[in-house]
Amino acid sequence: MAEMVKLFVNGQEVEVEAGKNLIDALQVVGIEIPHFCYHPALGADGNCRMCLVGIEDGRPPLVPACKTPAQPGMKVLLEDEKIKKIQRDIMELELINHPVDCPVCDQAGECTLQDYYMSYSQQDSRMNVEQVHKDKRLDFGCGVVHDQERCVLCARCVRFTRQITKTGELGIVNRSDQARVTIFPGRPLANRYALNIVDICPVGAMTSKDFRFRQRVWFLQKDPGICHGCSTGCNIYIDHHREKYGDDVIYRFRARTNLQVNGYFICDAGRLSYKTENENRQDRTLVDGVEVPLERGIEAALDKLNRARKPLMLVSPDSTLEQLWAIKRIATLYGAVLSGYSDAYVLAGDGDDYLISDDKAANRAGLQLLDIDSGKESFAAALADADLLVNFNNDLFFSPGNEDLQEALEATDQVSVCSHDRPAFSRATVILPCASYSEYGGSIVNRNNVLQRFARAVCRDADPCDIIEITRLLGGAISDNARAWPGLRQSVPALSRIWPERIPVEGVTLNSSEETHVGA
Amino acid sequence: MGAKVRVVERKGRTFLEQLYLLEVFKGMAVTLGHFFRNLLDNSRLYVRHYPEVRPEISPRWRGRHRLTRHEDGTVKCVACFMCQTNCPSNCIIIEAGERFDGRSEKMPLRFDIDLLECIYCGYCVEACPMDAIRMDTGIFSVTSDNRESMVLGLEEMLRTPGAFDEDSYQKGVR
Repeated sequence: MAEMVKLFVNGQEVEVEAGKNLIDALQVVGIEIPHFCYHPALGADGNCRMCLVGIEDGRPPLVPACKTPAQPGMKVLLEDEKIKKIQRDIMELELINHPVDCPVCDQAGECTLQDYYMSYSQQDSRMNVEQVHKDKRLDFGCGVVHDQERCVLCARCVRFTRQITKTGELGIVNRSDQARVTIFPGRPLANRYALNIVDICPVGAMTSKDFRFRQRVWFLQKDPGICHGCSTGCNIYIDHHREKYGDDVIYRFRARTNLQVNGYFICDAGRLSYKTENENRQDRTLVDGVEVPLERGIEAALDKLNRARKPLMLVSPDSTLEQLWAIKRIATLYGAVLSGYSDAYVLAGDGDDYLISDDKAANRAGLQLLDIDSGKESFAAALADADLLVNFNNDLFFSPGNEDLQEALEATDQVSVCSHDRPAFSRATVILPCASYSEYGGSIVNRNNVLQRFARAVCRDADPCDIIEITRLLGGAISDNARAWPGLRQSVPALSRIWPERIPVEGVTLNSSEETHVGA
Repeated sequence: MGAKVRVVERKGRTFLEQLYLLEVFKGMAVTLGHFFRNLLDNSRLYVRHYPEVRPEISPRWRGRHRLTRHEDGTVKCVACFMCQTNCPSNCIIIEAGERFDGRSEKMPLRFDIDLLECIYCGYCVEACPMDAIRMDTGIFSVTSDNRESMVLGLEEMLRTPGAFDEDSYQKGVR
């Protein structure tokens, strides 16, 4: 527990964490200090002057809150007329050359300038000279589009490329009202985290080419989720919306702060991975290539399972702990060999030392926790032996490398439970559609052994079943996430003290000593 | 309270009125009087001969919608979705896209109003920051024999002219 200090804000005593600056410290207790340039990940810059607060009996009496640590006995003035005038004046300065093109600006609705104008300014412009015109719709590369007129020159984007990605593509050139953020000639943004700039820009100066003009943000339903793009398990917001007469569609992923996992940012590939949730989905139940109702598909799968002498079940390393447990149970029921072989999900050398990891599977650690064998030799041997392969959404051809298994796969009768229409599933004689990760909830363990829980966000028209429901229809005893947990607690030592509803939002790190015990 | 109270004599309490029969015949006499008068000379009818004689529409009448253009012919709408946001019956569906005619950055690629759902409240016109959508076409009768054709598209709304000159429209709006 961090050390707490007592200080006064507008004469009222509050208790805040010591060592933090005033913006962060007071935000925890619900007191907002307006700011443009400060961002917890980028540190205090002190260039926007919006966070100036008064310190009663202090020297100096006026300080930027972003650069002032909370100290005991401090008397902070926020409601003072003098401070309000400063905020009003800063807002007036920011808006002198702002085009106020909110109707066509994607940021409208989540724009700091708009919010602060309503809270701190609310004045008409007094300017009677023509505004300074700068360049609009500049393509900065990596899908970032810049509008110099809307920019408030807080330099968050510049500091992001210098401090976080250490690539330094952006800079501010010229001075006073000619100052503008720009790239060096012929050197566009080139890093794998560039779209975070769109998130951290407090105004609409940085927009995403991908999201640009596709939807107004106030229509979007913003649900928390976890990115399944790789084994880091970055926290995201799934912004989705159901247009009238349309389907529930995901419009974008945004980074959700979780200091234990991803900090404030996510990678561009993960951010754009929302597209795979919308496109190429397997929504039809197929038996021998003919579309049938789900019940008929289940009947066909049950018939095959009952007749199979040596069934083999293949699980996906993206599946949640609950799904893996449910599949494990029906594998026992049918006497099937269970494999989690998923080397295709590992793209060696693709990861970096920041957020992107080589392993593109979201729950490989969970696979290991449940002690599911994922070796290639054992899978190949079981496949050669098996007369039925039930594939639970494991894309064997996610990346090249499994061509040698092709022959054995073609020789084996297959049942695919899949969320997407991919070559790995299309050969199956029975194809059962299942939900993808934005459409179910569950618990996954990331590469650093952090157990995180996520809930269902999207509800599409097709509404395919969760894998757990399919295992239940195939004769399993587990009908929902909660019923998987007694079994999980009992058989997995690392999870023995875990109650899913008690997992905090930032996740819980599983005990590593118990983890080694499981491996042994 | 110093409200003035005026006691009104209650009518219809006499014996003849309570009989009702006499009152029925008196009412019938009025009806038949009108009937025979109109039968002999229908030039003084109180009824408008609707399809042949059109009613006068005032500039502030909220008729079918249209989208306006700038003087140079470019579309005024910038696809800001204010009308869609403000629409209480949720009958406007817009899709926006990039714009390259120098006017703005954004324009509608699709702008549909479902006239079966529209309640003609005029909130879209009030919400529009560009004066791009108006209900001044003077079209008050929108009929069709299928649902699909009741969805008004972008092209059709741009094609329809306003029924009034600018001055009288502005006066009506104000």
